[in-house]
Amino acid sequence: MNAVRHHRPARREGVWLRRAGAEVVLYDSQSSRVHLVNDAAAAIWDLCDGDTEPAEMIEAICQLSGMPRPIVVEDVERILNEFTTAGLITWAEDSQRPSEPPE
Amino acid sequence: MGGEEPVRVLLADEQSLFRQALHVALESQPHLVVVAQAESGCQAAIRARHTAPDVAVLSATLPHCDGIEATLRIRQEGQNCRILVLAEREDQASLLEALEAGANGYLSKDSPLHDLIHAVEAIHRGETLVPPWMLGGLLSELIRRRREGARALQVIASLTRREREVLALLAEGRDHNAIAQELVISPETARTHIQNILGKLNVHSRLEAAAFVGRYGILQGLVGAES
Repeated sequence: MNAVRHHRPARREGVWLRRAGAEVVLYDSQSSRVHLVNDAAAAIWDLCDGDTEPAEMIEAICQLSGMPRPIVVEDVERILNEFTTAGLITWAEDSQRPSEPPE
Repeated sequence: MGGEEPVRVLLADEQSLFRQALHVALESQPHLVVVAQAESGCQAAIRARHTAPDVAVLSATLPHCDGIEATLRIRQEGQNCRILVLAEREDQASLLEALEAGANGYLSKDSPLHDLIHAVEAIHRGETLVPPWMLGGLLSELIRRRREGARALQVIASLTRREREVLALLAEGRDHNAIAQELVISPETARTHIQNILGKLNVHSRLEAAAFVGRYGILQGLVGAES
C-alpha cells in the first residue's frame, strides 16, 4: 500500500455527498447507486480533492484524534480502497492527471 | 458507568437560566454531577482551579474572557480537565480556535440535549468530539497549515547562518542599527542581510518577516541555529 501514498485521490465527477440527519450517503449519478458511508469516510471523501496525499490525511487525523497511527493508516487505506473499488474516486499522480489506482 | 465515580462537571454560561437548565439535565444522569458553575470566563478558570472538574462545559461567548480564552487559561494553569466548548453556531474558525486553545470537544447550542450528554461522556472517555460535518474542513485546514509549516522550514533552511541570526533579531523587534551593533557588523551589511531575508521569505517588510517567524513558531529554531 505504500505506493498509494505517492498518489492523490480525487472525487469522481457526478458523485455527491448528501447528509440526511445522522445518515451520510454518496450518490453516484452515473450509476444511480447510493453508498451509505460513516462520518470518517465522509471526512476522507472531503479530502479527496486530487491534491491531498493519503499520508497527509493520516497525519492530520492522527493529530486531531490522537488515535494510534497504525489504526488510522489501516482505516484510511481501507476507506480509499473501498472508494476506488466502487469507482467513486480516481487517482492523480504528481502530474495531477487522473489515472488508474496504483497496484 | 455503574459503580464508578461520577463525572464531575463545571458549567459556564452567561445566562443563569441556561446554566440551571443544563445543571438539571446533566444531573438527571446518575453518572454526572455538576460541581461548579460560572458566569464568566475568568470565573470559570478560577472555579476550575478550585474544584478540579473532570469536564468543563464552557460557552464560547462568555463575558470578560470568552470560552476560548478561558480554555487557554485553564490549560496554562496546567489543569488537565477535559473541555467542551459550546458555540452559538458552528463555524470553522471558532472550532479551530477552540481546539488550538486546548478544547477536547466542540458543540453547537442548537444541538439536542442528548448530544450534549453524549459529548460530555465522550470527551471524558478521552475522545475528541467535533461535529461530523465539520471534520472534512477541519482536516483540510490542518493539512494546509502543515504544508505551510513545511514550506516555512524549507525557506528557513535556505537562509545562511548569519541571515538566521539577523531574522531572529528582527523578530525581536530590533532595527538595522541595533542588529548591526549586536552582531558587530556595519549598518549597511545589516541592511543587505535584511533585504536578502525579505527576498527569500517573499515578504515585503520587516514586520512581515517578524510575523512569519511568529506564525510558524520558528524563533527557537533560529536561535538554536546560532549556537
